[in-house]
Amino acid sequence: MHKGAEIVLQCLRAEGVELMFGYPGGAIMPLYDALEGSGIRHVLTRHEQGAVFAAEGYARVTGNVGVAIATSGPGATNLVTGIADAKMDSVPLVCITGQVRSALIGSDAFQETDVFGVTLSLTKWSRLVRTIDEIPEAIAEGFHWARSGRPGPVVIDIPTDMLKAKKEFSGPVKFTPHARPADAKADGGFSDTIVAMLRQAARPVALVGAGAKLSGAIPELRRLLDDLNVPTFATVHGLGAVPPQAPYYLGMVGMHGTRAANMALHETDLLLVFGARLDDRVTGDPSRFAPGAKIVHFEIDPAQLDRVRPCELPVIGNLADTIPAFHAELRRHPLPDFSRWRAVACGPERAELDPRGLAQPTIRFLDELFSRLPEDNVILADVGQHQMWSAQRYRSASPRGFITSGGLGAMGFALPAAVGVQLAKPNTCVLCVSGDGGFQMNIQELATVHRLGLPIKMVIIDNKYLGMVRQWQQLFYERNYAETDLSDNPDFVDIAKAYKIHSWRLKEDAMREFPVSSETGDLIDRFLSSPEPELLVFDCAPEANVFPMVPAGAALSEMLLEEEPTQ
Amino acid sequence: MQIFQIRYRNTQGTLMRILNGASRRGLDITSVHAEECGNDYQVTLTLNVNPKQVGQLYREWYAIADVIHVGAGSPQASEWAGPHPPAGVCIESRTAARA
Repeated sequence: MHKGAEIVLQCLRAEGVELMFGYPGGAIMPLYDALEGSGIRHVLTRHEQGAVFAAEGYARVTGNVGVAIATSGPGATNLVTGIADAKMDSVPLVCITGQVRSALIGSDAFQETDVFGVTLSLTKWSRLVRTIDEIPEAIAEGFHWARSGRPGPVVIDIPTDMLKAKKEFSGPVKFTPHARPADAKADGGFSDTIVAMLRQAARPVALVGAGAKLSGAIPELRRLLDDLNVPTFATVHGLGAVPPQAPYYLGMVGMHGTRAANMALHETDLLLVFGARLDDRVTGDPSRFAPGAKIVHFEIDPAQLDRVRPCELPVIGNLADTIPAFHAELRRHPLPDFSRWRAVACGPERAELDPRGLAQPTIRFLDELFSRLPEDNVILADVGQHQMWSAQRYRSASPRGFITSGGLGAMGFALPAAVGVQLAKPNTCVLCVSGDGGFQMNIQELATVHRLGLPIKMVIIDNKYLGMVRQWQQLFYERNYAETDLSDNPDFVDIAKAYKIHSWRLKEDAMREFPVSSETGDLIDRFLSSPEPELLVFDCAPEANVFPMVPAGAALSEMLLEEEPTQ
Repeated sequence: MQIFQIRYRNTQGTLMRILNGASRRGLDITSVHAEECGNDYQVTLTLNVNPKQVGQLYREWYAIADVIHVGAGSPQASEWAGPHPPAGVCIESRTAARA
C-alpha cells in the first residue's frame, strides 16, 4: 500500500522530475513527509512566488518542466503571478497545491481557496483531484499538457486527505491524448507560396521570437536566415536565437528596440515571423504595424494568429518541421537581389543606438559587465529599465542565455528565477540584473541563495526610483512622479551582509571614463569570478532613461531617440 | 449576434474555459446551453462579437485541451467552417483580399 503523497512523488519521478521548488504548509504536509527517499530534491524558497519563479527559471534554461509546490489558500494564491508568467512566456510548469480535506471543500475552511477556479484562465490545464485513484492520471496528463504544443502552466490541486490515503499502486501511467478531428497543419504548399511572395517582395524582413527557441530548431533557423540574408531582428525572448554578429541582424525590435530594427519593420513589404506572438510591445499601434507588409506567420499555436494584425499566410506547426520544409523549397529557387534593401536597412546610419544613449554610464556598465562574463553564462533581467538596457546590450548567441519575464513583466522575477537557473546549470556563470524596486519584491530569496551557496552574481541597478514608471511619468505625465520615489531604499549592501552575502557598491562615476580604470575592471572581474554569491549595487543616475522608445499607441517609426522632442 | 456550437469532453473546467474566452473579452453572453451530445458534450453560445473576435474565439476555444470541435450557426462565420483551427485555410483568398 502506498500513500497518495508517495504516489505523487513516484509519478513525478516517472516524468523525469529531479528538482522541485516549494514551501510547506498545512494541507501539503503529507507530501513533504514523504519527500525523503523519493529521489527528488526539494528546494525551500522563502515565499511561494519565489518557488514558482525558481521553477520557471529552471524550466526556461533547460526546456524541462519546472515543478512548484505550495499549500492551500495563501500558498496557492502566491503562485498565481508565476502561473500567469508561465502562460504568457510559454514555460512548461506544473504546480502542485495542497487543498483542504475533501469533506471541507466549499465550506470556506481555514486556508481554503478555490485555486482551480482562481487559475482557470491562466492555466493550459488543471485538475482538482477527487480520489486517490486519479493521482497517476492527473500527473501524467498534467505533464503532457505542460510540455506539449505551446508549453504552459498546469495546476494539480490535491486535497490533503488524498495525500494521506493509501492504495495499491502498480506504477505511473502514460497519458494518451484524446483524438480530435485533424488539426489544420501547414501543407507542403506553403513553401511554394512563401517563395513566390519573396520573389515579389522588395523589402523582406524576418522576425524571430521565443517559439524559435522552444522548437529546438535554432540550427535550422540560422541556416535558413543565412540563405535568406534579409534584415532580421528578434523579440526580447528571441534574443540569442540569431548570432548578433550576423551581418543581417539588427537587434531587438519593439518598444525599446533598435532604430534599425523598428525602421525595417515599418518599411518592409514582406514580414516572415518565426514563433512570435506579435504582442503590442512588438507591434506598437497595430493599425500602423508594418503597414505595407504581407505577413507570413510560422506558429505552433493557432490561438496566437491574427491576434493583433491578420496575417496573409499562417504556417501552423512546429518550427522544427516547417522551417526545414520551407528551406528545402527555398534552395531550389534563386531569390531576387535584396542587396540594396539590405544596404539601407542594415547600413551604418541606422545600425547603432543614439550616441547619447550609448554614453550613459549604466549602459557602459552593462557593456563592461557583459563583455567580461565567461563564455558559459546566463543573464537574467528583472523588469524595468535595467531589463531593456540589458536586452539592448545583450550580445550572446546562446539561445537560452537571456531570461526575463517578457510577456507578463513580473517585477521580482529575476532573483528567484536565477536560483532555478543556477541549480540547473551549476557550472555556469549566472548573472542576475535587477532594479531596486524589483529586487525588493523577492529580496527574501537572498536567504535561499545563501543557504544553497549558489554563486549567483546579483546586480542591482539602483536609481532610487521605479525607473520605467518614472520615465513614463517624465515623458507622458508632465514629470508628475507620483509614488515612484524610492529614495528611502535600504542600504542593499547592509541587507546583503545580513544575509551573509558579500556585497559591493559601484558609483556610476566609475563608468564616466572610457575605457574604465583598471581598478573598476578588476572589481568587476573579481565580482564575476567569485565562487560565492555576490551582490553588486550600481548607483545609477535617478533620471536616466531608456531610448529608443516607441510611446504606447505610436507606430514603430515614431520612436523617441531622446527626450527633448517631447519637451 | 453570433451563435457558436462547441463540442467538448466534459472534463473539469472545460466549459468554464470556453465561457472565459467570452468573458475575458467583456462580451455579454446572451444565452448559453450545454448538454450531452453523443459521447461528448456541446455548448451553444450566443454572443455579440465582431469578425476579429470571431477568429480569436475560434482559435482560443480550439486551443483548450478538451475541446473537440468549434462550429458556428450563422452565415457571417462561414469562413471558419473548414478544418480546425481555421487559420490555415483560404490562404489564396486571404492573400488576395489583403493584397
